[in-house]
Amino acid sequence: MTEQTKDQLADGSYEFLSIFLEGLPFIFLGTLVSGFLGTYLPRGAFEKFLPKNRTLAILMSGFLGAIFPVCECAVVPVIRRLVKNGLPVGCALAYMLAAPIFNPVTAISTYKAFNNSHEIALSRLAMGYIVAIIIALIVSRIAHDLFLKASAKKDEGHEHHHPRNLNSALNNSLRDFMDVGLYFCIGVVLTAILKTTIIDPTDDFWKNLADNSILGGAGMMILAFVLSLCSTSDAFIAANFANFKYGPKLAFMVFGPMMDAKLIFLYSTVFKWKFIAFLFVAIFILTGALSILFETQILRIWMTPDQPIPLTP
Amino acid sequence: MNAVHTRLFGLLASSWGSLLIYFYQSGRLHKYLAPDFHHLIMFGGIGILILGVYSIINPQEKKSSCGHEHQHEAHHHACDHDHGHDHSHDHHHDHHHDHHHDDDCSDCSHEHEEGHGPLITILLTIIPLSIAMNFTEDKLSNTGLSKKGLYEAPNLTNFASIPPFTRADIEKRVPKNEHGEFELRLINAYYAAGDREIQDIYDGLPVELEGRIAPEKINNESGNRMRIFRSIMTCCASDLQVIGISLEFPEDVAKSEEGDWVKAGGILTFETINGTVVPLLKVRGVNLAEEPYSEFLLRQ
Repeated sequence: MTEQTKDQLADGSYEFLSIFLEGLPFIFLGTLVSGFLGTYLPRGAFEKFLPKNRTLAILMSGFLGAIFPVCECAVVPVIRRLVKNGLPVGCALAYMLAAPIFNPVTAISTYKAFNNSHEIALSRLAMGYIVAIIIALIVSRIAHDLFLKASAKKDEGHEHHHPRNLNSALNNSLRDFMDVGLYFCIGVVLTAILKTTIIDPTDDFWKNLADNSILGGAGMMILAFVLSLCSTSDAFIAANFANFKYGPKLAFMVFGPMMDAKLIFLYSTVFKWKFIAFLFVAIFILTGALSILFETQILRIWMTPDQPIPLTP
Repeated sequence: MNAVHTRLFGLLASSWGSLLIYFYQSGRLHKYLAPDFHHLIMFGGIGILILGVYSIINPQEKKSSCGHEHQHEAHHHACDHDHGHDHSHDHHHDHHHDHHHDDDCSDCSHEHEEGHGPLITILLTIIPLSIAMNFTEDKLSNTGLSKKGLYEAPNLTNFASIPPFTRADIEKRVPKNEHGEFELRLINAYYAAGDREIQDIYDGLPVELEGRIAPEKINNESGNRMRIFRSIMTCCASDLQVIGISLEFPEDVAKSEEGDWVKAGGILTFETINGTVVPLLKVRGVNLAEEPYSEFLLRQ
């Protein structure tokens, strides 16, 4: 084994363990919630709380992260169970995609990372919300059979009377924990391999993309996909890509929490792979386009002309 | 899920929970995660362990009340998902589970429990965990540190939010060592290179910087340089950012060893490499120092 291989193996192991140790308790919390929801939440309970109008319901679901803040790892098992219990898929998707960004913890960390810039924090939240809502509105008009896995579909047909006891809830939690934990582990392995073998954020390749908003945005989104950072910490990394403009940094902070190397495996517990590919492309295009719009138009309105764009913590 | 599957899953959950508790208890956790997460890891580990042990002791045999036991494992499924049907519920109707899975599965309108069997799950999670536990050194190699920014120049910084200060303010606020050198935080010296006014304040200042030693790869043709660095952690080691400053050793001072934790005293200056201003410490002397409990600088 060469020295380089030894280093890669040691670094990959270190990266793997750090993400696994950090993410596993959140996965556990998510699956614990999902197990209890699956047992005690009556089927169709959400239909009573959400507006009857589908668009209004989706718009409202996008805000739920502000009330029930969850990270991108924990949200997947929860929405899987909620969809099964009758939450409309569009609403679930709006919550799943928006919650990791549209929540107070992420807002504060972004604000701090960019030297107390409320403009950048608000831009990030707004972009995350808009992308999530647009995708949810599109998906709500597609037949669910096309993208939901059999295990995630709402129970149809005959009514099942599940026993509502602790035994059943813990059994559901264990099953969910094992399913999601497995895919989480595979995703983290992939992330660790990519980070230690292929991707080097300090490489000239990435730095050379900085001058071009379109290529810079695309590059930063790919980087966010590979780095698989937590949405509460990614702003500090984005802020330090000093050569990049405001748009690509926003793209990094919006795309990453919605789509990264470990998340695609978590999504695969709910969605079919073809749909995940569609989701990737849709989020990529929407985020890229919005990041350019925010950089060239919105920021210019929000920030005074002599106010420099903060770059680093 | 039958009782054996539940017990096997419970065993796996117990091992994951134990792993979290082990990292917390052994103190190794501080090499991987910021302190904010440590209690969460311990409580998470305990919770997972309880779930696992509970499932081992009290496995829930999945039988339907419609009078038959489901042993779908024996079927050969033509469809691409696992039919581990969750039949802990009561069926208030005649329900004949005579699945001919060579046919299309679309007739199955009851709950499909997705997921792989316990053996696949154990295999696909324990193998990477074992490899990682075996090969991790609880730190990054020099290559890994490079990717996190060890040799990167400080970024342009907006110091607008920092109140203006002078060298007199440093005199008042920053303690000195026995050589009269300011015990300056390495991060302050690093980011000073991004701002001309702050450079002017720090330039020529006798300072002492504390951190770990790495080899120098930049502007080191004569071989008299090393690099001192600190790492900034927000959540976990995966989001580490490394900041480093070049140390220039005079001939009469022995160079430090890679990996040493040191306090390096000298004069802080700035140099321009490829059009970028970077800090440089002209070393007076270097002493080995006691490593802190956690070497990471943390976001406030």
